[in-house]
Amino acid sequence: MPDTLTPGLCSGPLPRVARRRRAVAGAALALLLAVTACTGSPEQRSGATDRTGDAPVAVSGPLCEALPSGAEPGSPGSLVDRSPDQALAWIPVLTTFEAAVRATGMAAELSAAGGLTILAPTDDAFRAKFSTANLDHLLLKDTETLRGLLKEHLLGGARPVAELVAAGSVTTLAGTTLAVTAAEPGARLADRAETVCADYRVTGARIHVINKVLGSLPDTAHEEENHH
Amino acid sequence: MFSALLAAALVATAVPAQAQVQPSAAQQQAEPNQVQGLTVVQGDGYATLAWTQLAGATDYQIERTPYAEDGTPGAPVIVGVWRPNRQINNTEPTFADAGFVPGNRFQWRVRARFGTEAQPYSAPVSGTTKAHWGDPATPGENLRTQWENTLGAQYTSDVNEYAYTAAIDEASDRVRVVEIGRTVQDRPINMLVIGYPKPPATPEAVAATNPLMVNCNVHGNEPGDREACLIMARQLAFTKDSKTLDLLSKTTMLIVPTLNGDGRAANTRGNSTGQDLNRDHSLIRQPETRFLAEMVRDYRPIAGYDGHEYGNTNTGDLPMLPPRHQNVAQGIFDESQKMIEGHMYGQGAKDGWWACPYGCTSNANVGLSEETILRNTLGLKNVVNSLLELRSSGGPTRPDESNTANNRRRKTYSALWTFNEFFKYHGASVGDITRARAEAITSQSANEGRIVFRGSRKIEAYPAPHPGEAPPPVDAPTSERILQQPPCAYKLTEEQYHGERTDGPAGKRTTAAQRIAAHGWKVIKVGDAYLVPLSQPQRGLIPLLLDEQAVEGLVAGERIAPTLTGTHNGPLVVSGVACLDGATVRGPIQVRPGATLIVNGSSINGPVNAAGAAGFVMTDSRVNGPVFVAGTQGPVVLVGNEVTGPVNATGSKGVAPLVAGNTVNGPLSCTGNSPEPSNLEVANSVRGPKSGQCALL
Repeated sequence: MPDTLTPGLCSGPLPRVARRRRAVAGAALALLLAVTACTGSPEQRSGATDRTGDAPVAVSGPLCEALPSGAEPGSPGSLVDRSPDQALAWIPVLTTFEAAVRATGMAAELSAAGGLTILAPTDDAFRAKFSTANLDHLLLKDTETLRGLLKEHLLGGARPVAELVAAGSVTTLAGTTLAVTAAEPGARLADRAETVCADYRVTGARIHVINKVLGSLPDTAHEEENHH
Repeated sequence: MFSALLAAALVATAVPAQAQVQPSAAQQQAEPNQVQGLTVVQGDGYATLAWTQLAGATDYQIERTPYAEDGTPGAPVIVGVWRPNRQINNTEPTFADAGFVPGNRFQWRVRARFGTEAQPYSAPVSGTTKAHWGDPATPGENLRTQWENTLGAQYTSDVNEYAYTAAIDEASDRVRVVEIGRTVQDRPINMLVIGYPKPPATPEAVAATNPLMVNCNVHGNEPGDREACLIMARQLAFTKDSKTLDLLSKTTMLIVPTLNGDGRAANTRGNSTGQDLNRDHSLIRQPETRFLAEMVRDYRPIAGYDGHEYGNTNTGDLPMLPPRHQNVAQGIFDESQKMIEGHMYGQGAKDGWWACPYGCTSNANVGLSEETILRNTLGLKNVVNSLLELRSSGGPTRPDESNTANNRRRKTYSALWTFNEFFKYHGASVGDITRARAEAITSQSANEGRIVFRGSRKIEAYPAPHPGEAPPPVDAPTSERILQQPPCAYKLTEEQYHGERTDGPAGKRTTAAQRIAAHGWKVIKVGDAYLVPLSQPQRGLIPLLLDEQAVEGLVAGERIAPTLTGTHNGPLVVSGVACLDGATVRGPIQVRPGATLIVNGSSINGPVNAAGAAGFVMTDSRVNGPVFVAGTQGPVVLVGNEVTGPVNATGSKGVAPLVAGNTVNGPLSCTGNSPEPSNLEVANSVRGPKSGQCALL
């Protein structure tokens, strides 16, 4: 695929920023001052394969080229050593899903023993599904329902997308069975959602970014008041 | 052919630092309908492309090609589409290209389309874009936000915001970070107070510098403006630009990065209770909005911007809107429009940003008159201001924004452009803004004319909208939303005023009294009730909270009608409450201890004497004789009067007398008032000597 992105001027990986971003203010201050100078040289990249140390990370799907890659912060290669909840915070199209993980206190559960597969809907998918008021309600007041919704997007075992396709059907942690069919280069799930950037490898989990919200909550996007 | 070469040479000369023309085949031979005269000038996070208008062009496409550090070109991408509704002057087309990583190198080309038929590309112009603002080797300047460091992959967290602003405060004498309050979940709500060489020490001293404010993040899931605010704070704190420092030496910039810290952390529109804070600026049920109201009361900004994002693909880069509520003083509306249409539209056309009225899509039911929206609330508080939306998605005019980071960068740098332009506009127009504000304060205090509960002034689409788009809804007031004869005051019972309320978060609830105080209204205690006179600077807002007809009222106060509207011959002795509206009194007025006198738009021929009154309010009136107000137990308000004779205000207790915009043909003397009198920066014109506490008013 065409490489339309170029490395940033100051694009070295900045792992300390993310790892410590909840540090106390004093420590964070020192860190901010410390990372202001550019460090590290941009890594080479080819296609959507990211290299970190000796481990190549090949993500696939139409959205991948619009996501951080190569030496950019948040690239697939930079996320392999991160916990699932941290990794979600680096993929810029997952702000709603990531907020939902925090709202439900499910960060630890994403690092469950035995690994996990995370089918993470994009922000656009959430906007197409829920009105802003509905999303606010879920995030702030109805986290039990939200937890159930997230479980519709979690599978046991850290499984590559090809393995899901080969299996033909999978069962979510909510107990729902999803049919999985091939949809090159990824998968189609429950005849509804497709992977748009699959196979992020993170510590103990696989993250597949998908383009629709799964589960059975009612659509409310049409109620959007669009007041801003 | 020769002329094309000449044009290219001129272009190269015009912008030597930022752009060079590279010789190419296309350039050596100008083709029919080829765009000529392309220039590229670098801004902070954007590049302004300008070219010569081509007769008959339907629109133009902007192409950008990245260059790797070793000079290898990448794949060209169409990043922009210029349409005729982008700017008010179509004869000099411009486009602000943004979304790229600051500091990277690119080549740009522009081509016209006739209908959908693409014409040849212009000769290319290449240049290196500006890196993140600030010398990486200079302490302070080298601070970066989390958003900058991650190239837009992450927004700056609450903790990193506090660390970053504390570091600016530490490194720059120009900046003081003030905590104006706390959110429901106890996050600090900070404000950067920025002046040169340092900001004034107190809110009162800041108010004397005609400050301007930017509210950067009221909806937690609309974070683009906030990142611009954080970058702008660094620019103002460390810039060596003499023009900026000159402006900063004459005023004070107030930046509230995150009013809704809980919503930002949770990525929700509302605060932690789910309340949309931009539907709460009048009722101020939530602590966040109440603290902002108190900030506005104490620091008295004269102009403001309120930052948002908006999910409409068709509208402009930067939808803006003035305070439209019809109770807003005409001059405040006019000045806000002048700032938006007079400056932002014009400057946007120069720099390539597309400012347009918010709501400019058919059937959009947005941009209306709710006084709960900060844009309107600030207008009702006589602050010239605008809403700012950053169009959420790239839409048809910015087709390369499926990349989230590109999209985030375009939004934030367009906000940074707007806030910097706002700062410059304020500096250039401070005389007009303060004049409009002074007129608004005096005209509102006169309590003249109808009250509208909901209803807007009209906003024209300008320039003509693109097909499918329309001006914002007219939103005219309906007859049941109009009160032709406003009362003199509202009377609130003890229960209404001090009673417990349930419309706020548990543990943070406030009474009507606390909210009225946060807005800064004058209240007169009369027996076991409380009078809120309309004749004060926020007259347009008061009925929207206290009238029985209010759409989103606070309490339904009792309307107190004027007691005298005609002519009274002979002495007038006031006991209890008297309200004169358009009255003529031929004789002296004596206000007895504990009584209240409210006078609007009246004429008094004789001395006015009040000793130990509960309250004394006189606006828009003519007095032929001395005015002596002594030992008032509650507020003293003297605004926009013409007095022939001495004016004396002494020994009032508890509330600062307001003495503003009066013409006194005689001496003005104030002594022993606690707190000291204020004029809200609206000077009095005094023929005789000014002395005591009023010496500087």
